[in-house]
Amino acid sequence: MSTILEHIKTLDNNTLTRLYHQPATCLAILRLLQPLAKHIIMRLLFVGAVEMPVVLNWIFDTKQASLAEALLSLRNFNIAWDENGSLIINQVFQTNLKNALVGGGNTSSFGLPTDSKDKKDITLEYLDTYAKESWETVLHFLVGTPSEKRPTAVVTLMEGSGLMAKPAHSHRPEDLRITNKGFQFLLQDVNEQVWGFLLQYLEMSEQLGMDPVDVLNFFFQLGSLEFGQDYSVDVLTDTQKQMLEDLKHFGLVYQRRKKSSRFYPTRLATSLTSGVAASGDTGDAGYIIVETNFKVYAYTTSPLQIAVLSLFLTLKARFANMVIGILTRDSVREAYNNGISSDQIKQFLTNHAHPEMKKELPPTVVDQIKLWESERKRAVAAPAVLYQDFPRSLEYLEAVGFARELGYVLWSSDQKRMFAVTPEGHVRMKEYMIRKKQQQQQQQQAV
Amino acid sequence: MKRGRNDDDAFGMFPSSKKDRDDEEDEKIHVYIPQKASLSLALTAGGDPSAPQPQDAVSHLFPNANFGFLALKPDATKRPLWVSDDGRIFLEAFHSLAEKASDFLVTIAEPVSRPARIHEYKLTTYTLYAAVSVGMETGVLIDVLERYSKVKLPQRVVDFIRDCTNTYGKVKLVLNDNRYYLESTFPKVLRHLLKDPVINEARAFRTDADNAKVEGALAKRLGNGGNAAKVSNQKGSTSTGGNAAKKTSGKQDSKNSDLYNRAAITPANAATDDSAFGAVISLDEEDEEEEEDTAARLGIVDGLSGGTENDGGLVMGPSKASAALVELDYAQSFEIQKLHVEEVKKRCNEIDYPLMEEYDFRHDKDNPDLDINLSPKCQIRDYQEKCLSKMFGGGDGRARSGVIVLPTGAGKTLVGITAACTIKKSALVLCTNAISVEQWTKEFLKWSTIDEKRICKFTSDSRIPFEGDSGILVTTYTMITHSGKRAWDTGRMIDFISSREWGLLILDEVHVVPANVFRRVLTTVATHSKLGLTATLVREDDKIADLNFLIGPKLYEADWQNLSNRGHIAKVEATEVWCPMTGDFYKEYLKSPLRKRRLLCVMNPNKLMAAEYLIRSREAAGDKIIVFSDNVFALQHFAKRLNKPFIYGHTGNKERFALLQHFRDNHPAFKTICLSKVGDTSLDLPEATCLIQISSQFGSRRQEAQRMGRILRAKRRSEEGFRSRFYTLVSQDTDEVAFSDKRKRFLIDQGYMYKVVSDLNQLIPPEEAATLAYHTRKEQVDLLNTVLAHQDEERGFDDDDLMSVMPTAGAGSDGILRGPGGKFKAKAESGRGAVPEKKRHALFAKYYAK
Repeated sequence: MSTILEHIKTLDNNTLTRLYHQPATCLAILRLLQPLAKHIIMRLLFVGAVEMPVVLNWIFDTKQASLAEALLSLRNFNIAWDENGSLIINQVFQTNLKNALVGGGNTSSFGLPTDSKDKKDITLEYLDTYAKESWETVLHFLVGTPSEKRPTAVVTLMEGSGLMAKPAHSHRPEDLRITNKGFQFLLQDVNEQVWGFLLQYLEMSEQLGMDPVDVLNFFFQLGSLEFGQDYSVDVLTDTQKQMLEDLKHFGLVYQRRKKSSRFYPTRLATSLTSGVAASGDTGDAGYIIVETNFKVYAYTTSPLQIAVLSLFLTLKARFANMVIGILTRDSVREAYNNGISSDQIKQFLTNHAHPEMKKELPPTVVDQIKLWESERKRAVAAPAVLYQDFPRSLEYLEAVGFARELGYVLWSSDQKRMFAVTPEGHVRMKEYMIRKKQQQQQQQQAV
Repeated sequence: MKRGRNDDDAFGMFPSSKKDRDDEEDEKIHVYIPQKASLSLALTAGGDPSAPQPQDAVSHLFPNANFGFLALKPDATKRPLWVSDDGRIFLEAFHSLAEKASDFLVTIAEPVSRPARIHEYKLTTYTLYAAVSVGMETGVLIDVLERYSKVKLPQRVVDFIRDCTNTYGKVKLVLNDNRYYLESTFPKVLRHLLKDPVINEARAFRTDADNAKVEGALAKRLGNGGNAAKVSNQKGSTSTGGNAAKKTSGKQDSKNSDLYNRAAITPANAATDDSAFGAVISLDEEDEEEEEDTAARLGIVDGLSGGTENDGGLVMGPSKASAALVELDYAQSFEIQKLHVEEVKKRCNEIDYPLMEEYDFRHDKDNPDLDINLSPKCQIRDYQEKCLSKMFGGGDGRARSGVIVLPTGAGKTLVGITAACTIKKSALVLCTNAISVEQWTKEFLKWSTIDEKRICKFTSDSRIPFEGDSGILVTTYTMITHSGKRAWDTGRMIDFISSREWGLLILDEVHVVPANVFRRVLTTVATHSKLGLTATLVREDDKIADLNFLIGPKLYEADWQNLSNRGHIAKVEATEVWCPMTGDFYKEYLKSPLRKRRLLCVMNPNKLMAAEYLIRSREAAGDKIIVFSDNVFALQHFAKRLNKPFIYGHTGNKERFALLQHFRDNHPAFKTICLSKVGDTSLDLPEATCLIQISSQFGSRRQEAQRMGRILRAKRRSEEGFRSRFYTLVSQDTDEVAFSDKRKRFLIDQGYMYKVVSDLNQLIPPEEAATLAYHTRKEQVDLLNTVLAHQDEERGFDDDDLMSVMPTAGAGSDGILRGPGGKFKAKAESGRGAVPEKKRHALFAKYYAK
């Protein structure tokens, strides 16, 4: 969650103030801040300014460090700052937060519920299923499950965010493979994942010339909507309508048809700033057993979990409620080739370990995964300069003799008349070669 | 005798010579394996075409192993295992029913891997054959498996089990009062067999005079059978209730007596097939009742299936086993002529009714009893009891032949001794070498009440038979199969062995002995039952399967981790130490031919330094250490350099004993001993607690397991937290790495963990390194020169004693597979139907020549 705040922190004061024109945004940021910062805002909200000595008195002396930290973060967010010995609040933020809390001002900030009733009855279950399916489709795409459905918005976002990458020589979207970053992404919980995507979206929207304030406001608006309620599309800005179109693919919002004048936020959206787990299932119990013989037994029925496992396992068999795989050198190396690290594999297996495993993997398996990783790093590349094509043996021997005397020779083959020297050696070798050439020319002239 | 021949073959490594392949062909001709033994459940690419394949996003990841179509039972969590369409079984070892289920599984399937949490088993024709032969019935087998399975049992597996078991284990060859009977509880099967011309031909018919004798004997048997039937039927009635059971029981008795009366029909009456087999025909009419009876029996099973308390026990517990084995109660039989026994056995394999052989030792009056009992101080552990219950579970006083697999240190010898004490007839023990002969003899005297005069050794040093008409004889495979010229008293001993009948033949370390040696043994020794003992049935060449039909099915295989957790064998910390090759050695390695490469890997100075450091630090910690090197040159060089004692193939017996005795006596200069391959199976070193392996035989899993066995004896150092240590030193970036990976596989599947030390600097403290041999460049270069100068003669690797004196492949190749039917050799003339001269076996020819 801190990531969205970190992003906002980087915005300049001007943009921040523009952002604070929306009551929904102010409320969302209030929610995301640390408790002490929240507390200070609430104390300032209706008085506007408080003298600094008073502020310092609010907190026990032993906790002054925390206070300083909170004040610093408020200044970074351009919400409140020390001016002429008083702590004053950003007036725009003050006004709009007040509006959010007591009502009034710009009403569309929290979305405009439609006044007519939807002909079709959209149930909460339906929305949950829709959200889950859409989100899993995205993740399936990430882990490389073949499928026809791959909206451009998703593909672009995956590649743009570096969660997936194409091999150097390829340009086809089918060749996209999960990256280290992508695997790290899989290790996070759904809420973190959604925010991860949204931030990426934000970054890309700027490149596309969309107003970041508009984009951010819409994120926070989504977070403040009520699950199960339908909202009007008409009050949205053009940017936000475009976003609506894109976010549909991630399952954040539901819109029956493209032209439909109403949309429903799903739980993925409404829980953005609430801190409550977004998915219906409350943090799945561990399901993976790793054996000392490198076999992995995963109690799962979820195709997504199986697809994730297939990133570093050779899958062997599947039962209705269990899949069997094995960690092999090849399967793990393939994961490494995609940039996944041994620590990530270890973390994934530990995070999802079956209760029987007692949160501990067999040490030999962990060691071996590490060894497979380190064996990839045994060969170290260092620059060197190769000398070859000596016309005669004599010239080769003279040259290699010179280099050897100075200790620059890394490798040599008398048979092939080739040798390699260090880059430092190359400078001296060049001088030597030029000198040789001159000598040769002089000799020739002399003849 | 040519040394060096046959060594690879004997250890089942790589088929390296043409001769080995000849051996295999040779065997195919002489081991009659039932056709169905080649059945397999393995799925071909694309999976089971008949199975519905549900499709989802990840189905493509399981092209031929998607068993998702097997419906999960609603109470799956209460059941401990999955059965896959290709016959693999996955057991949750942490499940509350796991222990019972694994007892059941080890009876019907091959344990593939048994680490801590999920065990894998595999159904094969052989395991099912073994299951049937210890009395498991098809119906019970499928029923129990279904009950334990989380998913619905795949139809393919059910069919497979039916297919394999409906002909297997249905017919027994019983030797009783010097007569052979084909016995079965399935009248249809007997009828089917009698229709076969070969078997029908072999049938024996008796005169009235004979009958009187037979009937007397049968009456005795019948008494037993009848009682047993009553008991079991009463058990059955507890679930079905009513008087029906009693009625059946009564009928049963009459049925039995009827059969036995008819079985004694005179030849005159036996004019036609029909009347000859009247007993069975008449029984046919009673098939309906029999089915009822079967239902009643299954009732027991059903009753148990409800309660979780009893169910596993039904199949396994020695006492309850008999309940599941009620089939014995109304066995029917007909006699066959002794002379035709071999032929009938062969024929039965051909028509897929392999004969199970049981020895009714309690009723064997021909062979004198041996006064032997277990010593009162001897306590049998539960798993040893389990092994024995499999061997003697066939009912009152009957012994089955088969193989028992227990890790070294778990008391294999005691199992053998207990078996001998149960049968109480003359027993012959075959070991791999003279040292084992000593050990077996000692153990017999220690754990049993055998009179010292009744036990004898037959080795190159000792050739005096036991006193009296029965006893125990301990010898080696080599002595008994030696085909060359013999000393006079050796020949006398061989005659002594081959001229008598043995009640039990114990085959120690069965896995090392090539099949052709077995054949020779079995043609020399007339025995009623065979017990094979081994720690590992892994063979790189898969010849293990043949043992099923040469000795008998695998009766029991212990779970290493289980025994280790319960303190019956030592806990082991296995470590693989990666030793980088020094630059000089690696340069040579890259340009050397294969043979030289191997030596360079072994002599890698870093490896020798690691070995020396480990020896030093483990000696300081109070361990007693064995260093193994298959390469004799390396062994000698290293041992001499470190001034450690060593034993290899050429070390004389006396010297071996002396060295081992010092080692045993904790002599300060003998804390470490270096061994070549001779130490793999031949030596018993009870106090070794640390093992360092610097060179080994390619990728032999068996050797690895066997070596692990050297340090599994937990007796002396069972204090809390103690672990034996097993170090394998591997030269990095050489062939050794791949071999080591393969070697480890067996033990990893047994649940052992190999720690890897990937950096020698972590192992050896720098200040220590400077004090080790070979640490200076100069010494390393000298070593390299020694290695390069070493003229690698034919055998850098040592042979095991046993193998160096094995008979050549051709010898004994004309021997046919023989079971315990040794009897007919001595009394062949008394048999009725004479065989045409040319059909006679070479071995019997001498009897006819007289």
